[in-house]
Amino acid sequence: MRIPFVDTPLFHFTQAPVLRLQHFGHAMLLLMAGVLWLFGQGGAIKPVAQWQWIDIVGEGGMALMLGVWLTQVRASRPAGVVTNWLCLGLATMVLGAWVDWMDEFWALPKTVVWDNWMESTLTPAGIALLTWGLHLWRQEQLVLNEQLRQRERVFREHRSMDGVTQLGDASYMAQQLELERRATRPGALVMLGFDGFDAVLREHGLAQAEHMLQCAGQLLLLNLPHNALLCRYGADRFVVLMPDCAEGHARVVAADLQRALSSFVFHTNPGGARVQLPVAVAACGTESPDTPHETMLRLLVRLWA
Amino acid sequence: MGLSRELSVGLSMGLSLRSVGPVHHADCKLIPWAYQGAVLSEYARSRGLALDVWAEQAKVRPGEVMSTRQFLALLAPLQRSAKDSAFVLGQMALPGHYGLASQALQQAQNLGEALQLLARYAARLSPLLTPRLLEQEHETIVVWTDACGLPGAQRAFVVDMQMSAVTAMAQWLGGARLPWRYSFNRTRPADISQHASYLSGTLDFDCHVDAMRIPRTLASHPWRGGAASARLMTLQALEQGADTQASQRGLLAALYDFFLPRVAGNPSLDDAALAFGVSAATLKRYLAQHGTSFQAELDQVRAHVALYWLGLKGQPNELVARELGFGDVANFRRSFKRWTGQTPSALAHLASRFAPVV
Repeated sequence: MRIPFVDTPLFHFTQAPVLRLQHFGHAMLLLMAGVLWLFGQGGAIKPVAQWQWIDIVGEGGMALMLGVWLTQVRASRPAGVVTNWLCLGLATMVLGAWVDWMDEFWALPKTVVWDNWMESTLTPAGIALLTWGLHLWRQEQLVLNEQLRQRERVFREHRSMDGVTQLGDASYMAQQLELERRATRPGALVMLGFDGFDAVLREHGLAQAEHMLQCAGQLLLLNLPHNALLCRYGADRFVVLMPDCAEGHARVVAADLQRALSSFVFHTNPGGARVQLPVAVAACGTESPDTPHETMLRLLVRLWA
Repeated sequence: MGLSRELSVGLSMGLSLRSVGPVHHADCKLIPWAYQGAVLSEYARSRGLALDVWAEQAKVRPGEVMSTRQFLALLAPLQRSAKDSAFVLGQMALPGHYGLASQALQQAQNLGEALQLLARYAARLSPLLTPRLLEQEHETIVVWTDACGLPGAQRAFVVDMQMSAVTAMAQWLGGARLPWRYSFNRTRPADISQHASYLSGTLDFDCHVDAMRIPRTLASHPWRGGAASARLMTLQALEQGADTQASQRGLLAALYDFFLPRVAGNPSLDDAALAFGVSAATLKRYLAQHGTSFQAELDQVRAHVALYWLGLKGQPNELVARELGFGDVANFRRSFKRWTGQTPSALAHLASRFAPVV
């Protein structure tokens, strides 16, 4: 998974199936055409002089925006229970708004009741379905947060995410370090990196080098204390923030991480070569008069010394 | 030894007072797909780009020989794809597999020789930015100048890419991280994590040139290289024109070459047109197509010469004004301010850095 190219037209998005229906969108269009047919059968078209332009724009815009939301949700979520409820809710609301809108163009005889019935039930039903979906979404998010705990803390910033390792980048760490400093408690910062990582790129290619970094990131996550945060600083350099941590303890953890990473053996595929590299490590306290970026830069320089 | 002599190291042959060597334009078909194109597509694939869409948007048919303009169009979406794309692409770029020129790099005896090859066969090894070597008493300086028209939005990216390429190549072929000193002609970004982790050494932003400096002793430190006879054969093959395109100069690089020895004489558009074998109007049109003008290019060379004398050599204003053909110092000071946004005296006491803004 890579961060999609949101700002380029190269970004192709696919729509998640709803209730296992890949053609849910087409089914919606069919239903809407059905509603249009019902109006055509039962009613007469209103003369243009009777059209209420404000209502037409307002209700039409509502149907359109709900449709956009539905597309957005399907494009950004994987298929599943939560997506089903969210999409059913939005789809029902789209239909409700569509009936409302049709009402602006067609005059139905007083004897016809189905249109009033649809207008008054579809939208509330849609809201109820959507609400239930949102509730399930929150529960899902709690589970995901637990999985993401060591990759992000306090806030989410998708623009500061590294596409290769799916960890935060140096800017994200800088923001977190700033927050930690405001909390005025002792914390520690640890930086780790391989010695001679450039050889992996030269000898095994970019895809293998990046896969090795992904694996190294996973391995570090497994070895982190509960409340620590791991980010990719740049190239093969990782940085760990340990809040509320005395310097002595930080040094022990740094040594653990170094041991874990330096005994990590990466097997290239294809090729099956074993790659194992020595690891350099440096640690410091979070308190400093420097800016967060300067603090990390000084750690980086110490790593090479 | 004057600057023009020093900078002429590694310039293409045939640089004389009257004629200019073979020149390539931004639209000349110069870069085989199998060379730089293959590197870019490996990277694009790793970033999950749809190769056919990517190439089509850049108006390139995979497999064809590309112009530098097409090369830049291929780079643009890669630039946006990740924060470190310039540096990763740079790491993959050199010595490369660009035929004889790459082979010569691979067999180079030391960094100094590799840099000379890079400057001499820039059309093959670094087609967007032409490196120029300045051999000083104690250090070797690589100054990066535009080869054939870099758009402003892509300049910093290409500079980062080339600096990363040379850094990674020197580390790979020499087997050691080197203490480079980098000068960037741009303001310091808030986050320099990518520069710091991919480059090795000191980073100076807010400078007036894009350059890399290394102590001379390290430039002559022996590399593993290759068999001496094989190296000689590669160099001779290149010398005898086995890859004629390799020693071409980009239009703007050729113009820089033309200006350098004549900078004191205030060369005119007509002089340059004559040397390039075209009419003045045609040369003017060519330069417009490359996003620049005759005066802008001349001013850049004069600024570089002035920065060299003031910043590196610590010479007084009077001498520099004379070297650049100015009648009086006040006139020079005004022009210098226009080129760099600073007065010459503000630079004088900063000789240790290659002309940074304070």
